[in-house]
Amino acid sequence: MAGQLTASLPAAGAAAPARAAEGQSVPWLLLAPATLALVVMFVLPIGYVLLLSITDPALSIAHYKRIFSVPLYTRVLFNTFTTSLTVTVACLLLGYPVAYVMTRRSDWVSTVLLMCVAVCFWTGFIVRTYAWLVILGNKGPVIGIHQALGLGPPPRLLFTTFSSTLGMVHILLPYMILALYSVMKKIDPNLLRAAASLGARPNASFREVFLPLSLPGVVNGGILVFTICLGFFITPILLGTPKDMMISQLINQQIEELLAWGFASAVAVVLLVATSVVLAVYNRFFGLDRLWG
Amino acid sequence: MARSRSTIFDRRRLLKTGGAALAGATLGPLLVTERTVAQTRTIYVNTWGGSWTAAEEAAFFKPFTDATGIRVRTVAPVSYAKLKAQVQSGSYEWDITAINQAEWLRAEREGLVEPIDWTVVQKDKLFPDAVFANGISYCALGTNLAYRKDKFPNGGPQSWADFWDVKKFPGTRSLYNNAPRSAIFALLADGVPRDKIYPLDLDRAFKKLDQIKPHIKVWWTQGNQSQQLIRDGEIDMMAMWNARASELAAQGLPVELVWNGATVGITMWGVAKGAPNRKLAWEFIQFAVQPKPQAEFCNRLYYGPTNPKAYEFVKPEIAKQMPTFPDNAKVTVPTNVEWEATNVAKLQERFTQWLAS
Amino acid sequence: MILVVAFLVALFLLAPILIIIPMSFSTAVSFQFPPPGYSLGYYRAYFTSHDWLDPTFNSFLIATCSMALTMLLVVPASFGYVRHRFRGKSLFNLLMMSPLIVPHVVAALAYYGYLGAVRLNGTIAGVVLAHGVLAVPVAFLVVCATLKGFDRNLERAAMSSGAGPLRTFFWVTLPVLRPGMMVAALFAFLASFNEAVVAIFISGRDAATLPKKMYESIRLESDPVIAVVSSLLISAVLFGVLLSVVLRRKPANVP
Repeated sequence: MAGQLTASLPAAGAAAPARAAEGQSVPWLLLAPATLALVVMFVLPIGYVLLLSITDPALSIAHYKRIFSVPLYTRVLFNTFTTSLTVTVACLLLGYPVAYVMTRRSDWVSTVLLMCVAVCFWTGFIVRTYAWLVILGNKGPVIGIHQALGLGPPPRLLFTTFSSTLGMVHILLPYMILALYSVMKKIDPNLLRAAASLGARPNASFREVFLPLSLPGVVNGGILVFTICLGFFITPILLGTPKDMMISQLINQQIEELLAWGFASAVAVVLLVATSVVLAVYNRFFGLDRLWG
Repeated sequence: MARSRSTIFDRRRLLKTGGAALAGATLGPLLVTERTVAQTRTIYVNTWGGSWTAAEEAAFFKPFTDATGIRVRTVAPVSYAKLKAQVQSGSYEWDITAINQAEWLRAEREGLVEPIDWTVVQKDKLFPDAVFANGISYCALGTNLAYRKDKFPNGGPQSWADFWDVKKFPGTRSLYNNAPRSAIFALLADGVPRDKIYPLDLDRAFKKLDQIKPHIKVWWTQGNQSQQLIRDGEIDMMAMWNARASELAAQGLPVELVWNGATVGITMWGVAKGAPNRKLAWEFIQFAVQPKPQAEFCNRLYYGPTNPKAYEFVKPEIAKQMPTFPDNAKVTVPTNVEWEATNVAKLQERFTQWLAS
Repeated sequence: MILVVAFLVALFLLAPILIIIPMSFSTAVSFQFPPPGYSLGYYRAYFTSHDWLDPTFNSFLIATCSMALTMLLVVPASFGYVRHRFRGKSLFNLLMMSPLIVPHVVAALAYYGYLGAVRLNGTIAGVVLAHGVLAVPVAFLVVCATLKGFDRNLERAAMSSGAGPLRTFFWVTLPVLRPGMMVAALFAFLASFNEAVVAIFISGRDAATLPKKMYESIRLESDPVIAVVSSLLISAVLFGVLLSVVLRRKPANVP
């Protein structure tokens, strides 16, 4: 690998004095390892899923017909979509104030908030899902307080749509906050000061100046959270209920319990297409690179 | 199904070249270490985890390792799908499984079962009826109604009809996420006499299951999970493996076990077809079905030994809590292995869909 | 007012995580909070159990190897991508980003079938290949961003004062880029270390990673040792974040 790196350097070096020549050299050696790896270890496996979805057990599109005609499966699709939407909106409502405060304050407040977000962000999904199992469990603090206050029989918290939604909001909120923050911190504070000096009240200057400028962050965060949520695996399985299955639960069940490769693959393809469509629309208007920038 | 899967794996072989080339180039050395590690004298046993594994450890694994030097490692949970997946993919996680008789017969019919190696297993060391479908019988296991006594001071549910009666017995409920067991409980609740259960009337069973479904808080899948649910007070009454309930009671929890309407099935020892350590595996199984180890296991876990000689070593007060105890056996539903092996695949698919709808 | 809301949300983020730490010293056999009593019993269980230590070791090994693989792929690719114009450049970018577009559960299913076919399921090598590729987009973004910010006049200056391309690369280019590379490598490491879904599907018995073990322990065993592992991981994250704040003496740039 190091050999390849240095081998291409003379080309880059030679090109350096004459800028015009730079575009001519095709850096095959530099691009080849990554291209090969991604094709062999990513594109082919995904293609294999595509192939299985129409060939296992026999060449047909029966699996796709089944997904879109059996009410149970259309409900799973619909349920995944609405749950993802709920999670996205909840993340936005909770995340916006945090990102706003983080941007507008430059003292310890901002540091403390950022630390909270960072700790949460870097703690693995499983650890955080486990935390919710404890908190919402029958011997957890919520039920404990409920019983101490004598509010009657404990509510059903765990293994419900509520618990999996709450878990997903907690896990994806840092993504939303960071996406908002990265856009908001680029907003020039002078704009707000200018608005104020022109007599705008704080509310008005927020509404007329800050909010519109932060919208790209809202879109970025929303798309990010929504697409991750569509294919979310761990939390719905550990905290959710089979009654309100999401797509990833369906895939897991088909493989784990029924070994139905063809059908599971078809479901996976539908999930992949749904995610791609969302991202393609985003790409059309904003350009994908900005999403992860 | 079996046929279709083999065509997939044929197709997969076509893809081998690319992946293997890349893997070989970058990670060859690592691959080699993986292989060499697997060649030490170790067998892998598929278990249910928790107290099941703990009892096996004490009764079988440790004495076996002490006697032979062969190490035993465990992989949980027991799963028919996993057995099938590993035989077809050829990447084995375990050599030996302990699975119920009906699933084992189904596995044998689908070609997932390693024939008994009679060069290792000695026939005269086995008991009558030990061998079934190239497996060797292990123990009898009940799936019973169990409930928390403290939640029902005026007497708890005594039958599946009571379990279905949410007015008379209010409380949180849980069932085993297992299609045949749930269908049988529903039929019993609907008034089918226990000797007329098979062949299962599935439409009737699902109709009855529809009634209880909104009241089932959790469909548990693992023995430990069922224990945790009832230990933590999350659930007031549930379907539970008999030993798991007895174990909780022995630990001082107010758990009552009902034998009326329990299902009883035999668990089989067996070896996955083509498993890498099959010779050692048969050696282990032969060891595990001898009277003393079987009794040792069942003394810890209240399941019924299949080796008649094992009862010489079973404590009388524990024998009473076993599915094989005559008074218990009188009121339970033994598994119709033939029917279940033939119908379980379809039933399970229907059940899975029903659960999610 | 908004300050209060922000802190409440921050509490919502942090509190559930911190609740685990007292759990790890519990004496209870189940997930009980607050714990009925305190002991080090589960720490002893963790540090003496192969069932937990093996996955821990696997996770470190796999994350280190896959980080190396990712960097070997990404560094040359980034140089090629940022410093050259070529046909199909946007297609190449899409290829490099594709692991971010495909949901992990789809990738997991794909690897399960594909690696099964080449007998790499349940091997360290298989998981390293998968994780190494999955971490490409994140590392690629970071390295590219670093390269774009690199002032090439530095290289030109070095060359014009007589340094060869090799010397220039090792004495000028690399040192300037090192922080960016370190960040990319850290991200790649963590991407593998925290990755659960693909590991659950493909890591099998011998290559089981910590997240896979934790997932199974929740599903199968309700084993309280998971609180110990979680607490150790959380402590590491807390330490890392605090360190980055102290080192920078300004709002951390993490993540």
